[in-house]
Amino acid sequence: MAREAKKKKTTKLIALSSTNKAYEFNRPLEKKIKYQGKVVDIKLHEDPKGFSYIVWKNKKYMLDVIEKKQNRYTIMVNGVWHSFSVETPVSLKRKRYLEQQVDSSVGVSIEAPMPGKIIDILVEEGSEVKEGEPIIILEAMKMQNEISSHISGVVQSVSVKKNESVMKDDILMEIKRS
Amino acid sequence: MKIKSILIANRGEIAIRIIKTARKMGIRSYVIKTAKEPNAWYLEEADKVIDFSENFDESIPEFLDIERIIKSAKKHKVDAIHPGYGFLAENPDFARRCEESKIIFIGPSHEIIYRMGHKTIAKELARESGVPLLGGSPGAVSDAEEARRVAGEIGYPVILKAAAGGGGRGMRVVSREKDIERMFSLATNEAAKAFNNPDVFLEKFVREPRHIEFQILADQHGNVVHLGERECSVQRKHQKLLEESPSPALNSSLRKKMGDAAIKIARSVNYYSAGTVEFLLDSDNNFSFMEMNTRIQVEHPVTEMVTGIDLIEQMILIAEGEKLPFKQKDIKLNGWAIEWRINAEDVQSGFSPSLGTIEKISWVENEHVRVDTGVRDGSVITPYFDSMIAKLIIHAETRERALQLSSQAIMKFWIKGTKTTLAFCRAVLQNSNFRKGNFNTSFLSKELKIHYQNEPDEALLAAFFATYDYAREMNENEEKPLHTENGKAITPWVLKKRLR
Repeated sequence: MAREAKKKKTTKLIALSSTNKAYEFNRPLEKKIKYQGKVVDIKLHEDPKGFSYIVWKNKKYMLDVIEKKQNRYTIMVNGVWHSFSVETPVSLKRKRYLEQQVDSSVGVSIEAPMPGKIIDILVEEGSEVKEGEPIIILEAMKMQNEISSHISGVVQSVSVKKNESVMKDDILMEIKRS
Repeated sequence: MKIKSILIANRGEIAIRIIKTARKMGIRSYVIKTAKEPNAWYLEEADKVIDFSENFDESIPEFLDIERIIKSAKKHKVDAIHPGYGFLAENPDFARRCEESKIIFIGPSHEIIYRMGHKTIAKELARESGVPLLGGSPGAVSDAEEARRVAGEIGYPVILKAAAGGGGRGMRVVSREKDIERMFSLATNEAAKAFNNPDVFLEKFVREPRHIEFQILADQHGNVVHLGERECSVQRKHQKLLEESPSPALNSSLRKKMGDAAIKIARSVNYYSAGTVEFLLDSDNNFSFMEMNTRIQVEHPVTEMVTGIDLIEQMILIAEGEKLPFKQKDIKLNGWAIEWRINAEDVQSGFSPSLGTIEKISWVENEHVRVDTGVRDGSVITPYFDSMIAKLIIHAETRERALQLSSQAIMKFWIKGTKTTLAFCRAVLQNSNFRKGNFNTSFLSKELKIHYQNEPDEALLAAFFATYDYAREMNENEEKPLHTENGKAITPWVLKKRLR
């Protein structure tokens, strides 16, 4: 981002949700949002105990930043989380282009949804898997959890071993879409 | 014998719950400190802390280390041990070691725990008492082949259950023959891990039943009463997410029939202490005995709310040898109570555990709202223990009113720092079949399509907030090109000042 910062000021920012929905805002950001053609005030508050909330159209929304890594955010509003990457028009264009390139040629990685220990690996390199098929047993919080593939394809590589401990988001295996 | 001191072989909210009653009864409470949670709240509530955080045997978790717990209890000359739930609560060896060491085990005798904990013996007792049962394996199934054979005989779907189990662990439903081998090994592994006993048995699986359980209280003089039922059908993978008492499915005649059956089961082993008899209830109101839990349950507060009886107090009095101070006709169910389990789980990712620190927690308690919790500001959710943060218990005159008050209480229950099941609770409350009391154990998989309540503007506000924070950093970077705040958490109250 530092490289962009040296260039002239970006006038627009886009929050791209994990479901690929884009929310566009103009810079500089003010305490107002354009909403259904109207400009609506947005107020950020803090209660005496230190909880933050937004008042929006006379309703209260509890707010919490769960995760923040560079331009990637997970924000919780009323107990429901939303993930975004914040993009400039240029970075968004690049991102979309790269996604198109990647789609068919490279494997999709399956990541650990939580920290834990690998109890069993149910597939090996070259195995064919169907969407929803269990591929790894991960033990966390005393439960054995089945990790399923979210795509159909062929296992390209397995990056973990039995009895290995993994952290959240560690890559477990790569599956090439078929 | 009057109990003057209790060692609580447990942690978290149940340790605090037991301490509260002990304090009320003038009993000294002792708890165990572990290296996994050296700053936990329950440690401060107790009269005395026994430190297990040093020289511990890594192969045995602290709360499962029978010999060390017994040795400590003897060293500190405590009169009794309360096991809480989970851990050693249903371990007959632990109860036996207490008995041998002249320490009162607050629960039933080791023989009772053994017989009820052994699922096949328990089923035999139920059969002899004339209580309806489901078909299944006569004992533990020794291997996947035997599981395949028995399942073939009674017909799919079947359920594999840990013989020493509870709490949904070591339990797998198998719908097709091709899955039996894999599910058998999952269930035995999990059972071995969780209960140190890999035995599983197999049973006919009833599709879409209700899960109804009866609270029993029995003394050592042969007096047995039931305190009504708890409706526990809203579950995910056999883990209860909320419970209510009474159940919308029972009328007084069915309650009497099931209550009488529960008492028969208890009498068949000369049960004493608090216990719970679990039944499955099918859509034609046929019930069958599942198992008896010989301990206090997580969901005991809903029974306490509708009966006005302190179950921990009764357990202690029964352990002292007292007679029950009431008879069945004295037990009145007053109003409606619901318990919402607030867990550190990511509802949006299939209820996976969400570890982290509870930065802040806040709720409103009043005559209708009770909160049992073991966490406070700064508490850490570790991978070593279960993911429960709190139990939010609502009590009102009617179910409708209890649901209405639940919505308000959930909106006022604030937790900062971790993902929780609160949005799930809101989604359940919005569901019309739940509101009508029309649901069973398939509620989550079939009826509640979206497991969290989400309003359209919330995504927009979250997007704005993320963008706002990012823009603020960009502004700083544009002013000072070499400076970066990447990776550093932004706190909303700092932002608030910048928003002005």
